[in-house]
Amino acid sequence: MRSRLVLVAGAARIASMTRGFYTGRLSYWSLVLPILVLIVMFFYIPVALAFFWSFFLERPFGGGSEFVGFQNYGRVLSDPEFWNAMWRTLIFMVVAPGLAIGLSLILALAADRSIRISQAARNIIIWPKAVAGASIGVVFVFIFNPFLGIFAPLNEISPGIWNPRIDGADAFITVVIAQIWNGIPFNFIILLSGLQAIPDMLAKAAAMDGSGPWRRIVDLQLPLLTPQLFLTFVLEFVGTVVEAFGLIDTMTEGGPGGATNLLIYKIYVDGFKAYDLSGAATQTALLMMFVIVMVILQFRLERFVKYER
Amino acid sequence: MTKLHSMTCTAAFLVGASAVHAANIEFWYGNTGKIEEAIQAHCAAFNEAQTVHRITCVGQGGYEAGMQKAIAAYRSRQHPVLIQFFDAGTLDLMLSDAVVPVQEIMPDAPWNDYINGARSYYETSAGELISQPYNGSTLIFYANMEMLGEAGIDEVPQTWEGAMEAARQLKDAGVACPFTTDAHPWRVLEQFSARHGAPIASNNNGYGGLDAEYTFNGGPVADHMLNLAAWREEGLVKLDQDTVAGKYNAAFNAGECAMMEASTGSYGAAYGALGNKVKISMAPMYDGVERRNTLIGGASIWVMKGHDDADYEAARSFLDFVRDVDQQIEFTRRTGYMPVTKAALASLVESGKADTLEFATAEMGVASLNQPGDENSRGIRLGFYVQFREVFKEETQKAFNGDQTMQTALDNAVSRGNELLRRFEQTYQGAILP
Repeated sequence: MRSRLVLVAGAARIASMTRGFYTGRLSYWSLVLPILVLIVMFFYIPVALAFFWSFFLERPFGGGSEFVGFQNYGRVLSDPEFWNAMWRTLIFMVVAPGLAIGLSLILALAADRSIRISQAARNIIIWPKAVAGASIGVVFVFIFNPFLGIFAPLNEISPGIWNPRIDGADAFITVVIAQIWNGIPFNFIILLSGLQAIPDMLAKAAAMDGSGPWRRIVDLQLPLLTPQLFLTFVLEFVGTVVEAFGLIDTMTEGGPGGATNLLIYKIYVDGFKAYDLSGAATQTALLMMFVIVMVILQFRLERFVKYER
Repeated sequence: MTKLHSMTCTAAFLVGASAVHAANIEFWYGNTGKIEEAIQAHCAAFNEAQTVHRITCVGQGGYEAGMQKAIAAYRSRQHPVLIQFFDAGTLDLMLSDAVVPVQEIMPDAPWNDYINGARSYYETSAGELISQPYNGSTLIFYANMEMLGEAGIDEVPQTWEGAMEAARQLKDAGVACPFTTDAHPWRVLEQFSARHGAPIASNNNGYGGLDAEYTFNGGPVADHMLNLAAWREEGLVKLDQDTVAGKYNAAFNAGECAMMEASTGSYGAAYGALGNKVKISMAPMYDGVERRNTLIGGASIWVMKGHDDADYEAARSFLDFVRDVDQQIEFTRRTGYMPVTKAALASLVESGKADTLEFATAEMGVASLNQPGDENSRGIRLGFYVQFREVFKEETQKAFNGDQTMQTALDNAVSRGNELLRRFEQTYQGAILP
């Protein structure tokens, strides 16, 4: 998504640069072509194939593929499992980014005030960014192990109260926590840098007018931080749809009883484990449309973002 | 230039002529760990035993991953000559038009020597083997005799009634996990229905045609699933997620659970962990039901289409090599999989090694596969079966969680499974079940 926006911007720039820095068509085409080829090969062609296959019943090994019109869409849209996965994806999309941004904001506001150890915290909070999603999954499975993990004492008080292996809600919570933990470092960097870019004078002036720290956060820092909040919001939102895959694959494999089967994971299982290429392609097409609609809605929110300072 | 050209041609011709039948071929497999080592040993031994052909064996990290890669490779014409596929993918491959039946390219091999349970799973309706059974396993029953002994039991139970009676005694003796299973459909659905002579789907589990329908939500399978749920409530049966170890076989090996139903392939690890305390037996039956054969698990080797004669020559030679009695026995020793031909089993028994602990599962497993069969114990020939296994797991897990009753779970699994079968039928419209 982002790369496409960059591309459009890049193309516009090329048009205006024709008479500028670059002397011939060859040089700018040679600069643009590699990325263009990559995007076409690894984005547009697969997407086009997914849309194409969603109108066919495709045999895994090729051979006879039969055109069925909108039959695949009819089947997927009337399948309660698809809607369950969609619903779970939506909940996940709201809860995980909400908390990941909220917590990052609190941490960033704290680190921005020159309180004790905030220097160290600025470094340490960023470290988890270096851990891959799959590795986080492996670690969190151990941390939340019902017999050995941090909630094990709860089970000793009341057996069975915490078991993400069998309780769907517990499993969902586990994945959400892992996703939030994964998201905090990046959001923290963006939000902290945004806060630090707010001129000191404003805070000083507000303080002289008698506003306390809370008042300054609400009336001064948050309004000036909207560009960064918007950026983290868009990235987190799209990220939860696709990035949760690694976590789910290592932590729950969609279980128990499908409780953590988000749409992105369901597509993987249907397409790659079950050789249902048409079903997976149809769901991919639907997921893509869903994400596009979501992003368009988000960009409508951009009206409220203040880029001018 | 012309001279150089003609020289190159001559050289190429000479190279070609000296090795008319020689080929470098690839074999893709899915297993990992100890079994992967044994497969690599097979390949190395083959390359050492003769100088004409060379085989390169490539691990794909899992049966499902292997299948995915094979699909992608076949579509881009980069596929290997030989590939190992697992039981549940059989029908998908049979109808794929991407494979050549082994019996077609090797009409003279001793196919009738393959043990019955292995043959029936991989043969066409005309009785022709379509792939060569390779690493064969089946379901057996494991007991930790030390734990059973402490509860006053000195024999491995042979029936479900007996097993649960023992489980009650164990529970009373303070054992937290008397019996464990992961309730995977391979264990509780396929192997259970086969040995109880009950179908899971019409048309003899799909052998009679693509218009089969699932039927297991009534009859012996349904009774057994309802029992499992009730026994779990009673504290007699523990699933993966109820055990401290988190996995049924790990829980058995750690001495947490006293009994389990598991593949013959689990024996190596269990024996390694518990030694002489482990005793095995054929999987339990319900009282009064005649015992049929269990199904072969594991995987077989398939020959893929679209290669030249020299490649197939090499493939034939490798398939002959792994069928060799000594090679099979060595593979059994290293992995716990069973010999798949009668000759290999006979040789093992004759050598007296079958009684040693290393080979303990071979005779037991083959005996289980060789029980008298009927039309419902031949195997599973149902489309999108891998996806169906996921559906079955998901629905029954919801029942074990308490989100729905077991009967509802089975009804849902049947109706979702039937949708898969209808779509499979439509996808392969016009294809004839070989």
